[in-house]
Amino acid sequence: DRQTLVAVLQFLRRSNLRESEEILRREARLLGDDLGSSVGTVASSSPGVAAVAAVPPGKGEVRAGIAGLFSGAGDRPLPAGSLETGRPLWLSQPLGGGVVVEDQPDVSAVLSAYNQQGDPALYEEYYSGLKHFIECSLDCHRAELSQLFYPLFVHMYLELVYNQHESEAKSFFERFHGDQECYYQDDLRVLSSLTKKEHMKGNETMLDFRTSKFVLRISRDSYQLLKRHLQEKQNNQIWNIVQEHLYIDIFDGMPRSKQQIDAMVGSLAGEAKREANKAKVFFGLLKEPEFDVPLDDEDEEGENEEGKPKKKKPKKDSVGSKSKKQDPNAPPQNRIPLPELKDSDKLDKVMNMKEAARRVRLGPECLPSICFYTFLNAYQGLTAVDITDDSSMIVGGFADSTVRVWSVTPKKLRSVKTAADLSLIDKESDDVLERIMDEKTASELKILYGHSGPVYGTSFSPDRNYLLSCSEDGTVRLWSLQTFTCLVGYKGHNYPVWDTQFSPYGYYFVSGGHDRVARLWATDHYQPLRIFAGHLADVTCTRFHPNSNYIATGSADRTIRLWDVLNGNCVRIFTGHKGPIHSLAFSPNGRFLATGATDGRVLLWDIGHGLMVGELKGHTDTIYALRFSRDGEILASGSMDNTVRLWDAVKAFEDLETDDFTTATGHINLPENSQDLLLGTYMTKSTPVVHLHFTRRNLLLAAGAYSSQ
Amino acid sequence: MEPAKMASPKSAPKDAQVMAQILKDMGITEYEPRVINQMLEFAYRYVTTILEDAKIYSSHAKKASVDADDVRLAIQCRTDQSFTSPPPRDFLLDIARQKNQTPLPLIKPYSGPRLPPDRYCLTAPNYRLKSLQKKVSSSAGRITVPRLSVGAVSSRPSTPTLGTPSAQTVAVSTKVGTPVSLTGQRFTVQIPSSQGAVKAATPTTPTVQNVLINPSLIGPKNILITTNMVSSQAAAGEANPLKRKHDEDDDYDTL
Repeated sequence: DRQTLVAVLQFLRRSNLRESEEILRREARLLGDDLGSSVGTVASSSPGVAAVAAVPPGKGEVRAGIAGLFSGAGDRPLPAGSLETGRPLWLSQPLGGGVVVEDQPDVSAVLSAYNQQGDPALYEEYYSGLKHFIECSLDCHRAELSQLFYPLFVHMYLELVYNQHESEAKSFFERFHGDQECYYQDDLRVLSSLTKKEHMKGNETMLDFRTSKFVLRISRDSYQLLKRHLQEKQNNQIWNIVQEHLYIDIFDGMPRSKQQIDAMVGSLAGEAKREANKAKVFFGLLKEPEFDVPLDDEDEEGENEEGKPKKKKPKKDSVGSKSKKQDPNAPPQNRIPLPELKDSDKLDKVMNMKEAARRVRLGPECLPSICFYTFLNAYQGLTAVDITDDSSMIVGGFADSTVRVWSVTPKKLRSVKTAADLSLIDKESDDVLERIMDEKTASELKILYGHSGPVYGTSFSPDRNYLLSCSEDGTVRLWSLQTFTCLVGYKGHNYPVWDTQFSPYGYYFVSGGHDRVARLWATDHYQPLRIFAGHLADVTCTRFHPNSNYIATGSADRTIRLWDVLNGNCVRIFTGHKGPIHSLAFSPNGRFLATGATDGRVLLWDIGHGLMVGELKGHTDTIYALRFSRDGEILASGSMDNTVRLWDAVKAFEDLETDDFTTATGHINLPENSQDLLLGTYMTKSTPVVHLHFTRRNLLLAAGAYSSQ
Repeated sequence: MEPAKMASPKSAPKDAQVMAQILKDMGITEYEPRVINQMLEFAYRYVTTILEDAKIYSSHAKKASVDADDVRLAIQCRTDQSFTSPPPRDFLLDIARQKNQTPLPLIKPYSGPRLPPDRYCLTAPNYRLKSLQKKVSSSAGRITVPRLSVGAVSSRPSTPTLGTPSAQTVAVSTKVGTPVSLTGQRFTVQIPSSQGAVKAATPTTPTVQNVLINPSLIGPKNILITTNMVSSQAAAGEANPLKRKHDEDDDYDTL
């Protein structure tokens, strides 16, 4: 190290950086043997660092080496991006030639040591050195430091591949891939097929992984330990990688246990930075307009806002909250423009309230009945299902690009009469809405043709006038359920669209696809209104919050992000799943989010605090359907393992520890209570469950396609 | 999906065995047996395409034989063509920032079905009927097809546009070079009179029963046909009566 210091001094002198040289010299003499800290204090002289950085590109490697030395020795933890050197050139420069060094023997001798960062043979040594260190460290720190293995392994491997050291990359992989955590095995398999630089070029996910910073949350004590170790030995290579590719989010407090860490890791970008989850989220519900509910049907009364009773006779039964005070967690009514309530919507709400009055109160003693709709003869082609809110129609999207709508009630599906016949009807009659329907077209099933690829997502509009379907052909189609024809094709994603959903108030809808973005559309705009970009891999699931102000997207990069519709910002990032997310469900009160993925776990999140509050283990295969009951007491989950499970949501969400410490550090202590929360498991006959829906009276409907094996 | 049946080593060709091994290495354990055939076919087609391209490049560069650079160039060109990948992240973040800056548009109240302008919808008929020159109507209507210059129809959702009048149609052809979508810009409205002959409605004689063509609204861009019918969402309803008339097309000359 002393040698290094001298070399650096010489280099500075050679480059005419007198001031920096003086400072370095002074500091170096101030301290005694502890060379590490001497170099450390030098780092605080940022002009020196910047000056070093201003080295002509020919000495890129040299510069990077020195930069690593300087910044690595800082006493305060430096986030990797603080060094304004941009990306070290040694990554992109071919290592064929050596470093073009000044012809100063001392400098060159020492600096050639830094050339070793390209030396592939030493990578294995560095890695095993680190491994040894971490395994010998104290138990309490070991779990946290073990988080380092995976990102370091991947980055070192990618570096070797990028610099075209194929054989070294292969042997590096062989030696260490077995040590990684089990939940990374799928990624590692993909990685093993990447052996050449050209392979990396077309893979967007890999490129994103390389350019984005892998976030690790480590306690201060563990971090100090790590830093000290990496600076003692000639471990600058690893330190460089840590600087370059990792973002270490340091918190003060107890180091986390392996269990806590395991719950939160798994995403392609590590965990979420704490500040990513600090924005205020309005998770409350919008106030419903209040109006009188007539006792009798024929007494259809006019409705008025603010619940002022018109007549004394009808019983006042307000839909909205009784208090006029604004819920502090609810967004203002006009935060985003929402369509006004039409008369038909108001009638619908009245029906809804009547049904709600007859709703069954669910609980651990009173479980819902489950009615299963099996799609027969679908030949594994059923790819999407949706059921209307009043449970009158069910739609299936199929791999043969058709969309089929069935009527669930005895009332058949009819389309509107032709314009010719419409002119003949009596427009003033009371049942004009019945008369406009053409009896000749009445049938139980309507098939909608139009897509040119498998239909991956379907969604009914809340007023049951429209149906959306999104498909592998990159379009989202809007169908009219009055005429059963296609109205609009929204083109924007040029890649398969995996999911779409209407907003709870209609008019807006969201879609997410292979291009890693989710888009917000309005039915009367042919281009999206908002683009939510940030995921590292495909967006597989998109859901609106009940107040329509936020959108949750689950992705193949194993994170869930919550986006603000108003300005497109990402307000929450939830990590913890170990596989692509395939189902999302907001609780009816808007405070919680349940997510299911291919790892078979259901995770529960508190949106306001941005924390994981529960983990439901039990399923053994991908969870494709999640739904809360109408009042939020029960969470139902359906999965590819042919079961529907019911969980006690009330118990899962009570007694939340959300004190300041938890929110500040993101520590969570998940109780192992999956068994207690499980209220029932219901097997189907080899029918994976694709969709779940609670009727207005809390009967659970489930849908799936019978697959004969 | 039935589990993969591995062909016995004796009968499966070596390529198939290699492909099966590749699938196993990538962790794919369940697949139909035909997948191997499809993968082999794809691999063969891809490689021959690349090599043919490489041959062309190398002969263009007047080289004696195909070398690695030619192959690399061929791969690169083909990748840009057939295996497009989604846009890179920074590009997406950039356009997202741009798009998200504009505030959400306000929603107009009482505007019926909220659909984009008709040009972007799939609601227009995508055919027109031929002229009916042979038949002469005794009710003194010229059978010439009126040439209304029509561009996009601006949808006035409160009254249905082109709500096909009971049995009245006006054949129209576009003059304006508007971008023709699949649905086209032609609006066929046919007008049978009581005799069943076709009476054409000209833009200047809005005396056709139940069809009111407001001449003042006919410009190079718009035509608005209002009817006095009640139709909730009859945007696609016109397809039905027009379909009936489609058969008579063959009886008449082309336009």
